[in-house]
Amino acid sequence: MFDFIVQNLATIIVFTILLVIVAAIIINMIRNKKLGKSSCSCGCKACPMSDTCHSKK
Amino acid sequence: MGNWPGVTVEKKEGKLKKHSDVTITDLPGIYSLSPYTLEEVVARNYLVGERPDAILNIIDGTNLERNLYLTTQLIELGIPVVAAINMMDIVRKNGDKINTDELSRQLGCKIVEISALKSDGILQAAEAAIKAAESGKPVPQHTFSGAVEHAIAHIEEAAVHNLPLEQQRWYAVKIFERDEKILAQLNLSETTLEHIEQDILAAEKELDDDAESIITNERYVYIASLMKACYKKKSVGKLTTSDKIDKIVTNRILALPIFAFAMFLVYYISIGSIGDWTVGFMNDTLFGEWIVPWVASSLDAIGCADWLNGLIADGIIGGVGAVLGFVPQMMILFLLLSILEDCGYMSRVAFIMDRIFRKFGLSGKSFIPMLVASGCGVPGIMASRTIEQDRDRKMTIMTTGFIPCGAKMPIVAFIAGALFGGSAWVATAAYFIGVGAVIVSGIILKKTKAFAGDPAPFVMELPSYHAPVASNIFRATWERGWSFIKRAGTVILAASIIIWVLNSLSFEGGFHYIGEGDSKSILNVIGEWIAVVFAPLGFGNWQAAVATILGLVAKEEVVGVFGSLAGMENMLDLVEMGDLTSQQQAGLLFFGGSKLAGFSFMIFNLLCAPCFAAMGAIKREMNNAKWTWFAIGYMCVFAYAISLIVYHIGLLFGGVFSAWTVIAFILLAALIYLLVRKNKHTA
Repeated sequence: MFDFIVQNLATIIVFTILLVIVAAIIINMIRNKKLGKSSCSCGCKACPMSDTCHSKK
Repeated sequence: MGNWPGVTVEKKEGKLKKHSDVTITDLPGIYSLSPYTLEEVVARNYLVGERPDAILNIIDGTNLERNLYLTTQLIELGIPVVAAINMMDIVRKNGDKINTDELSRQLGCKIVEISALKSDGILQAAEAAIKAAESGKPVPQHTFSGAVEHAIAHIEEAAVHNLPLEQQRWYAVKIFERDEKILAQLNLSETTLEHIEQDILAAEKELDDDAESIITNERYVYIASLMKACYKKKSVGKLTTSDKIDKIVTNRILALPIFAFAMFLVYYISIGSIGDWTVGFMNDTLFGEWIVPWVASSLDAIGCADWLNGLIADGIIGGVGAVLGFVPQMMILFLLLSILEDCGYMSRVAFIMDRIFRKFGLSGKSFIPMLVASGCGVPGIMASRTIEQDRDRKMTIMTTGFIPCGAKMPIVAFIAGALFGGSAWVATAAYFIGVGAVIVSGIILKKTKAFAGDPAPFVMELPSYHAPVASNIFRATWERGWSFIKRAGTVILAASIIIWVLNSLSFEGGFHYIGEGDSKSILNVIGEWIAVVFAPLGFGNWQAAVATILGLVAKEEVVGVFGSLAGMENMLDLVEMGDLTSQQQAGLLFFGGSKLAGFSFMIFNLLCAPCFAAMGAIKREMNNAKWTWFAIGYMCVFAYAISLIVYHIGLLFGGVFSAWTVIAFILLAALIYLLVRKNKHTA
């Protein structure tokens, strides 16, 4: 097991970094969705209809 | 935000700089407080319902008479009003004079001169509004003629005496006008309504007009007297510079060729010349020669497994890089479109298109969402809610997606670069194919029972031409460009990994990683099933089929798929391509170098169902599952039919005839019939 880790250390580290990045992207996308942030990534501030999604009740 | 009225339909809030206790609410631009348009309803509900401490009424100094109508209504609300006369730089430049002291005296409110474009007087206007809010004294009001005042006094006494004193007059005037929304809000008893009606009828009889017209006329008489006392126009009847430009730009014959030329120039610069060079640098040099080889050799040097090297270098960087490669082109395109918007030209285009759209049953109001959609389809679809008629709004929602949005432009730029030598005509054609699809759909749908009827009237004020403001255009360009980059770093990256995984695994001979093997990947198998559907359109290969389907996630992903697959296929080993650019290599690999197949692919991807985010917007705006599916289905069927017609009639010019050619002609005949058939539903 230890030999396997040593032999594939670079692969494990790079793959872990990649996994963290992808997980961060997915978590961020889910969080944005839950917060009602822009679904189109166009930036709600510039959208003339943003109040539809972000009305302050 | 575009430089034309009707774009902002909602209120926006912000804090005044250096005054953290002052909240400024920006309301949509309106001309009156009548509840006829969505903008008026939004503004009126806020002013009447939430009663701000003060109103800062921004008036266009070059259209003073038209703008003062709203001012007279605002003053009646019983809320302190400060009138800021905007565009004073142009008023002065024209040699016109506004006696603001006299106007202030006659209106009974503070008047400030400003120029929003040059940031002159903005702070003074805000400070004047703060002072007015602190004083809390409602400003005096003008009076109507005797008969009207008599009726209003009766109404105040009978119907609104229980309301705060300063609000009574506005409600009384609205009741006099028989404003249905106000009457419903006040919920007056039948007896009171009958009593009030007698007073209104008496005034109508005496002045020989209906109540609403009486109020409108009397306001304009009052405004005319204000204008006479306070405004001096230097060159009465003479044309301003804007008018002179408009005589050419909005000319009945020249308008459309000028618009076509302007759009060609935009695409020539952004996609064809400078843009083509930037994309060549980004794809071939930056990603092709520098980033991908460096990443691949670095991962190799540290001993990374081949599969991980392939995933990162070919899958992720190939996919994301293919999209990011278009960033400079998109930035140039967004910059040029922002300039056209900011200088006032795009509002003329709405006016020009209204003339054309009206002939085909659509209103110029439908073109505003389409202008917004050239950036992104989602706000474009949402902007359609400014259209009052349900049928016109539904039709606009269905057709707005035809306009090439920013995310579709990489597809256009890719096809132009891969198969047409970066020709600007391809992008120009793509834009006008979108506009053409809107017009054709308008004609076809207006002849059906569900959409029949006259288009809504379209009134808009054309802003004067002015030099674009650098901060405005750079902000607009950055916002659009940044959203493009963000999507590449999120949605496209995730989709690129999925593409790589599905294209690296196979079920053939048991589930396994393909590596250097030649078994069919999962993606390949799925793609081949889907490709059957697209084969009649000329792009029946599995890669193009997968790209089209993944375009539903985000339209940029179409080129992202090509980027990932091109990296994995190691194109240079597959075909003898000589000195071709990476885009040309992709064109050869995915479309066999067929311009017609590539063009058909582009048309289908431009006109078919939009991305999921835009479909969500359609669902929200339609608020009906049946209409949502009808809209998406219509777009797909329309896109399929047009692509099939273009591809097979195009092939005929090359001497290729098949059963599909016959079907293409049948579809063309059906399309022409739907266009020219008699409208049975005209009034």
